[in-house]
Amino acid sequence: MFHWLEKHPFFFAVGVFIAIAFAGLIEILPNFAQASRPVIGTAPYSTLELAGRHVYIKNSCNACHSQLVRPFKSETDRYGHYSLSGEYAYDRPFLWGSKRTGPDLMRVGNYRTTDWHENHMKDPHSVVPGSIMPAYKWLFTNKADIDTVYAEQLTVAQHFSVPYNQDVPMRDGSVKNVKMAQSLSEAHEIALEEAKAVAVDMKDQDVKDAVSRGEIPEIVALIAYMNSLK
Amino acid sequence: MNIAEIQAYGYFILTFLLVLVLYGYIYHLYTKKRDADGVDYESYSNMALKDDIDDAPVSALSEEKEK
Amino acid sequence: MENRPLEYDYTIAKMFMLTTIVLGIVGMLIGVILAFQLAFPGLNLILGDNLAEYTNFSRLRPLHTDAVIFGFTLSGVFATWYYVGQRVLKVSMAESKLLMTIGKLHFWLYLAVVAAAVFSLFAGVTTSKEYAEFEWPIDIGVVVVWVLFGMSMFGLIGIRREKSLYISVWYYIATFLGIAMLYLFNNMEIPTMFATSPAGETGIGAWYHSVSMYAGTNDALVQWWYGHNAVAFGFTVPIVAMIYYFLPKESGQAIYSYKLSLLSFWGLMFVYLWAGGHHLLYSTVPDWMQTMGSIFSIILILPSWGSAINMLLTMKGEWQQVAASPLIKFMILASTFYMFSTLEGPIQAIKSVNAIAHFTDWIVGHVHDGVLGWVGFMIMAALYHMAPRVFKREIYSKAIMTAQFWIQTLGVVLYFTSMWIAGITQGMMWRAHDEFGNLAYSFIDTVTVLHPYYAIRGVGGLLYLVGFLMFAYNIYKTMSSRPVEERELQSASPMGA
Repeated sequence: MFHWLEKHPFFFAVGVFIAIAFAGLIEILPNFAQASRPVIGTAPYSTLELAGRHVYIKNSCNACHSQLVRPFKSETDRYGHYSLSGEYAYDRPFLWGSKRTGPDLMRVGNYRTTDWHENHMKDPHSVVPGSIMPAYKWLFTNKADIDTVYAEQLTVAQHFSVPYNQDVPMRDGSVKNVKMAQSLSEAHEIALEEAKAVAVDMKDQDVKDAVSRGEIPEIVALIAYMNSLK
Repeated sequence: MNIAEIQAYGYFILTFLLVLVLYGYIYHLYTKKRDADGVDYESYSNMALKDDIDDAPVSALSEEKEK
Repeated sequence: MENRPLEYDYTIAKMFMLTTIVLGIVGMLIGVILAFQLAFPGLNLILGDNLAEYTNFSRLRPLHTDAVIFGFTLSGVFATWYYVGQRVLKVSMAESKLLMTIGKLHFWLYLAVVAAAVFSLFAGVTTSKEYAEFEWPIDIGVVVVWVLFGMSMFGLIGIRREKSLYISVWYYIATFLGIAMLYLFNNMEIPTMFATSPAGETGIGAWYHSVSMYAGTNDALVQWWYGHNAVAFGFTVPIVAMIYYFLPKESGQAIYSYKLSLLSFWGLMFVYLWAGGHHLLYSTVPDWMQTMGSIFSIILILPSWGSAINMLLTMKGEWQQVAASPLIKFMILASTFYMFSTLEGPIQAIKSVNAIAHFTDWIVGHVHDGVLGWVGFMIMAALYHMAPRVFKREIYSKAIMTAQFWIQTLGVVLYFTSMWIAGITQGMMWRAHDEFGNLAYSFIDTVTVLHPYYAIRGVGGLLYLVGFLMFAYNIYKTMSSRPVEERELQSASPMGA
């Protein structure tokens, strides 16, 4: 059988394919439904939070920061409760990262404030002496792309039944309703409302001015996203 | 039987079969030493060593190469 | 064409040799910049404040990995395929106009996709999934390039004169199939431009943006099934294909055991794909999968060492060649590093070791002793072997080659030793508790302590880059050095002083 395979490239290729596809079939496919159920307290990303996530991805923050707390005492001491599968139910793509050049950010919203992030992004040394993280000054001038965010919200709501405009249960027994706009202009309004709430706590006058003009600098979106990581 | 069990059985049976096939292959290689065309496996190394365009193939596809 | 005797046609091999060298320089240069940015963060502003967005570590990092994987390595794989493929199948590209056209199309489209990828990554257009950062329009380009590669591969196999397929061809076929399957499944995504809002608006936002079909843990699972096996089918399988051809050919020695090479092939094919789970130990993927990843990673030592030992034993009784020929040195060191990193990898996949190693620089060190020592050395050796034959010239300088070998070896050693120390130091500091059970170090303590190791790593990388530039210069000068006799060269490559 084998020497026959060796002389028939097509069937040889089929044989190789079966050998390599086998692992994927057994390992990956059957767990799909199971792993993607959200845990209580996990809500979809709001418009501005998702915009912040896009900024996070655009700048490859995940190259240096993980979002995965492993179940060790040293990690739960440092970062908070270890990660649960359902907490990632609305993460497309996942942002676990593979290298902690900087600390984990899975629950950074629990212990860092808007003010801290603002200073840190402008000049990491001012808040963390000895930091090797570069400054991200362009975030204060670049504008967040709300259009693309809205398109993504529509896509995930339609194809993956992400519960926008629906009540989702929270840990304290209350419900949360994450709003998704009915039109592009409404999406901008929703994002701007969220941006104003963030900008109140910020110091940078240019950013504040931009928000009051109705623009959303990337930094505002990014901070909204950071604050949502809990 | 739930999906996890099917998964486990599928995994076990297929792995077992593939292990059998692999050992069968080893047994075949080291007892027969030649393939069905009667070519010693080791002589296939010459495909790399004698690879000029006018060197004779280890086992030619056909004498005239009509295709 | 009058009555000229039939010859192998290396046109396309030459084209890909060129991109191997150019993209190698680009990828490694960015790598060196990144390494020094970690040691000296001021370098993030290397081109000034205005361009900081584009010279910043996080923006450059995917460019480095993708330039080295999809630029340098893949070009090397294509270049050697268009050389080795013809020879072991005993058929010339010149015999088929169609295959020649496909080959050229393959090259030019590849170049276009590379250009688009570089541009998009600089602009920050990325899906964030490692080694699969490209958005859907580029993914489609990648798939087309890959299909063309497959067509030219199976086309050449279709018109072969040799009945059996040489072991290298097996590995090339596996490369093609493996990458095709992995890339397709990991890049399943929905372009967002097709969404329609309740108000009836369509085509909203950036047309190139897409959203992954998988969420959270599933996405991670698919990604690392891909990420690990992209290493398998990009950095292992095709490089094994190369060494199975170039080492026997250059040394004039038959493979120690052809049967062993066949066995390790099937072993590798079956075992490798299971090992991806070791990237997700202690994460939220199901426990049995993590264990499976661990176990299979350790089993993986067997087929890997099967190939590596086979290569080393091929030199049995001919070890004086290692001393005499720098080219053989490159290949022997490559297979030694292959053994080394295929032992190191399984060690890191043991759960208790992984608890320390994961997220640290030890992983980075592991990748680089594989890539610098094994992949880089083997591709350079392959190109050195091909150069006299495709250009019909002797290699310009043996002395440069020898010097390059030692400089790069030193570079690799500095690289992985510093990363070992850095990784284990940081891993231990993260988990250290004081006598009261509190964490002993704040995070920044574990970063500043790494400074000397980051600096040493940068130097190691720089040495490797210097060696690569010497290689590029040597190949460039080879193209214009003294011609050798017209007859086909047998084994050892001719080298100038």
